[in-house]
Amino acid sequence: MKYELVAGFETHVELATNTKIFCSCTTEFGGEPNTHCCPICIGLPGTLPKLNKRVVEYAIRAGLATNCEIAEISKMDRKNYCYPDLPKAYQISQYDKPLCEHGYVQLSNGRKIRILRIHIEEDAGKLVHRRGDTLVDYNRGGVPLIEIVTEPDFRSVDEAREYVEKLQLIMRYIGVSDCKMQEGSMRCDVNISVRPEGSDKLGTRTEIKNMNSITFIAKAMEYEYNRQVDLIESGEKVIQETLRYDDVSNTTSSMRGKEDANDYRYFRDPDLVTINVPREMVEDIRQQLPELPEEKKTRYVEELGLPEADAILLTKYRKIAEYFEKAIEGTKTPKTAANFIIGQIFRSVETESEKEEFNVNVTAESLNELIILLDSGKIRMNLAKSTLDKMLETGKKALELIDESDMGGLDENALMDLCRQAVESNPKAVKDFLAGKQKAVKAMVGFVMKNSRGKADAALAEEIIIGIINDSQ
Amino acid sequence: MVTKEEIMKIAILSKLSVGDDEIDKLTQDMSEIISFADTINNAADIESDFDNINNLSNAFREDEVLPSLDREQILKNAKDSDEGCFMVKNIMK
Repeated sequence: MKYELVAGFETHVELATNTKIFCSCTTEFGGEPNTHCCPICIGLPGTLPKLNKRVVEYAIRAGLATNCEIAEISKMDRKNYCYPDLPKAYQISQYDKPLCEHGYVQLSNGRKIRILRIHIEEDAGKLVHRRGDTLVDYNRGGVPLIEIVTEPDFRSVDEAREYVEKLQLIMRYIGVSDCKMQEGSMRCDVNISVRPEGSDKLGTRTEIKNMNSITFIAKAMEYEYNRQVDLIESGEKVIQETLRYDDVSNTTSSMRGKEDANDYRYFRDPDLVTINVPREMVEDIRQQLPELPEEKKTRYVEELGLPEADAILLTKYRKIAEYFEKAIEGTKTPKTAANFIIGQIFRSVETESEKEEFNVNVTAESLNELIILLDSGKIRMNLAKSTLDKMLETGKKALELIDESDMGGLDENALMDLCRQAVESNPKAVKDFLAGKQKAVKAMVGFVMKNSRGKADAALAEEIIIGIINDSQ
Repeated sequence: MVTKEEIMKIAILSKLSVGDDEIDKLTQDMSEIISFADTINNAADIESDFDNINNLSNAFREDEVLPSLDREQILKNAKDSDEGCFMVKNIMK
């Protein structure tokens, strides 16, 4: 029998605020243990939490960017459980009135992954387990998170991968999080079940907790899918449980029996007043949202005439898109800038984080100047390309690298002369060409380019060379 | 009515150890508390929202960093500490 994968995601995204959700301690990553703490975030009796306004704004931004409805009235609740990573023995979260609900993220295959809710909550502290005891660092305790919960709408690992990438991209674009999975500022829990293809009943699900890499998520989902199918095929039952994924052995193992929601004994946090979200506030935030990656991609294709593959590469990181947009200001062909960026400039940014930062040796303004020189016919493509390489190497501007004498290309007589020289000094190439090797002409064009220091028009040179050879016959 | 089983479950979730001799009394007490709270269900229709009875909303704080407390102060009431951390009994079984 064939089985279908059914999965849903819960994604925790750490918000890029300066301070924690309920106190004024810094959210900075790292720092000596327990140096970013105060009586509020370590839960001392008699302290009162006060909600960070920016957390609400960022959550609304995230909600709008994922097509959610924003609640008019929201509130904070206590989720009770005893574990040393929570100093108060409860986490302040949201239960039945989350800030955002009913959104979606659209995938490239046209399917919409429905977002059930996005709520705000505090992160827990960090535990280090040693032999015999456990050390607790509350620096991360109280750092604001949003939890983005989807419906069980995923039907393949590829869809899951695309969703996580898309979500990461959106959150970075709107500036609410850096979503660095390796640093834990974005973490995913995945609910997985399987069912016979064609069935519309959900199978028993398991939940894989806390994964911080897209590769691991994909591997863990594949492993868990196969494990569940094997269980069912051999007549056994899938047990509802929480699993941990071990990336070394590529297996999942049980953490603890999943507690029912009501075991958390949620109730309203009486220390925190109601959150009222006026519609004007929502509209203000909507107005301030930047163009989202998907919209940008469409615009690049439809208005700028870029191939879709280029548009995808240029919009994958916000800084690259901004760079591109600056580089094409006042230029004629956006495709030229796209080629320069994807072809030459990308070579100097290899890692994801380098692309994220996009600190390249050539500023968008310098690239823009180079393209304008090219557009105006003052330099030719070959010279532009070699100049760009030099710019990347030295960080100098185009005009510092190109002599006045290099500009304006070659006049026709000089080009004719060079072409004649090319034919005369390459008898073998001429012979090959006459014997039907079309490519042999390239060697002669190369001669012209080299001796004109890139100023000649390669296509024109080729035409002239072929003319000279044919005339000589 | 609250059952003994429910009391035991709540005790486990709250990490409280409840002696056999205490269960009956706790069950009785809890039942009384709940039936007292149930009185409200018998009250005439009330429009007011009990969820937000003081009618307060939007007490926000600006996102500005203030100095945290010295670690020495933070750890002062800890039963045990090591390497700048709170130290608790190993919770991994």
